[in-house]
Amino acid sequence: MTRLLVSLRSFAPYRAMLELYSRSPLLRLCLVAIIPVLWIGATNIAPLAQMVEISFYEQYPVRQGEPIEWTLRHYAAFFERSLYITAFVRSFVFASLATVITLVVVFPVAFYISKVAPKHTSTRLLLLVIAPFWVSEIIRSFAWIVMLANRGAVNSFLSMIGLPGTPFELLYNNISLTIGVVYLTSLYMLLPLYAALEKIDDNLLEAAANLGAPAWQRFTRIVLPLSREGIVAGCTLVFLLVIGLYAMPQLLGGPNNTLFAATIGQIFAKAGDSWPLGSAFSIILTGSALAYVGLFIALFQRRRRGGSA
Amino acid sequence: MNLIRRMALPGLFWLFVAYLFLPLVVMAAMGFRDSNFVAFPIQSWTTQWYRDVLFDRDILASLWLSAQVAVLSTVISILVGLPVAFLTARTSGLLRGALVALVVLPAFLPVVVSAIALRIFIGRIGLETGMVAIAFGHAVASMPFVVVMVLTRLNSMSLNMTDAARNLGADEVIVLVRIVLPYLSPALLGAFMFCMLLSFEDFVRSFFLGGFEQTFPVLLFSRLRFGFDPGLAAISTIILIATTGFGLYAERFIRSRRLGRDTSISATGNTHD
Repeated sequence: MTRLLVSLRSFAPYRAMLELYSRSPLLRLCLVAIIPVLWIGATNIAPLAQMVEISFYEQYPVRQGEPIEWTLRHYAAFFERSLYITAFVRSFVFASLATVITLVVVFPVAFYISKVAPKHTSTRLLLLVIAPFWVSEIIRSFAWIVMLANRGAVNSFLSMIGLPGTPFELLYNNISLTIGVVYLTSLYMLLPLYAALEKIDDNLLEAAANLGAPAWQRFTRIVLPLSREGIVAGCTLVFLLVIGLYAMPQLLGGPNNTLFAATIGQIFAKAGDSWPLGSAFSIILTGSALAYVGLFIALFQRRRRGGSA
Repeated sequence: MNLIRRMALPGLFWLFVAYLFLPLVVMAAMGFRDSNFVAFPIQSWTTQWYRDVLFDRDILASLWLSAQVAVLSTVISILVGLPVAFLTARTSGLLRGALVALVVLPAFLPVVVSAIALRIFIGRIGLETGMVAIAFGHAVASMPFVVVMVLTRLNSMSLNMTDAARNLGADEVIVLVRIVLPYLSPALLGAFMFCMLLSFEDFVRSFFLGGFEQTFPVLLFSRLRFGFDPGLAAISTIILIATTGFGLYAERFIRSRRLGRDTSISATGNTHD
């Protein structure tokens, strides 16, 4: 391999290129930067910019030979129909609740793996809970359908032990959706939490215990403040994941509880002339979600500074 | 009281493990039900569903499409992710911050929004929906993870190696091919497996960017909307075992190559390390 590359140098153009490359820092920078700049421009910036642009169009695609008409109509449409606002508010409430529930469910698990379980088993325990991570959203939804359906595993078990009133309507409501969503998000919460908890020095907890701090005080005064970064990171990830969920709400949720992401998807599934409306809604969702998360992060960090002063 | 306190945390942990695995086990069992309906209890068992799957044309076609998309998108995202990581490693300060923010931007958008934005975009540049479009979408989504994984490895690389090679007469191409890429190879292999899995399990991007042909998750989604039989449980179980096995192997691989726990954590989205 090396010999081949060395022998390549006997070709004058190749040698000249190498020389130029090593002599000119500007050329080097250009060569390194060209693919990243093109790609980021084309994939991360252009589609979003275009979406913003289209959201102001009267219609899309613009008819041949006609001038582009600009309008705020599609943004106004959001406020005109309570259907949209309801779905929007429901999305934010649901995503916030799901985030809090995930945090409450996962925190003891992360704490157990990182602090309580014997050190040599913690990697294996972590792998155990990471294992289902690669199961797709659709398969997970289906697994919960099998569990919660009227003739599913749970109802079958409940009637077997003689509980009256079976089958219960467990599927296609907010509870089944929450169960499924927490199932999906728990890993995104677990990894940041685990990383933060693992860094906490055991001696701190021991010292506090020796000085007579009860368990709840060790938790609120040491564990919580020191795992704050992990909590913020986990909550941010989970919230952004839930707010964009599209498939699972359709498979596990109720028909009357449409979330905003599904609303957007339905608008786009229609003919192309509804794209400006869908673009405007996408911008509204993205802007609000990022603002909401940014506010959450800012609040949390300010409180930390206040606490340490 | 003390006993309760000592049992509470392990209890919660194993309860959580049950919550993770019980639905999957139940689904696997459902695939053995000798009936056309998904229902409990299971009175008679059959392996017919698991065997039928192997002859279901649509499912095999969707798996083939998923595999093609996974390979193509992974190759793209690594080919692009490498130079992006090189560029990021060369910058510093505010510029680096801005660059990293731009690179990880797709990971912070609601998935529906980024999928739809790409759908409009490919329409304008004249790319048809279908295999290439899906692969493009997946590459956009997985590139940030490639960059993070490669950067982590790159940061641990000592400049002595490249300097020594240059002093001994190596040109830039030789340094790249014989020194830098081999050093990065564990990160690249890890990123490769990670991207393959990421692409294989994606639904939303495949749904919006796909044409007439469906990837496996999209096919499963559309079948689930029409009703379900134990056959769907069977194929889901097979895919579940395959991806989990592959995922665990990738996880172990990344760990054993001393990419360290930090990498696997940041690779699943936590980029603040």
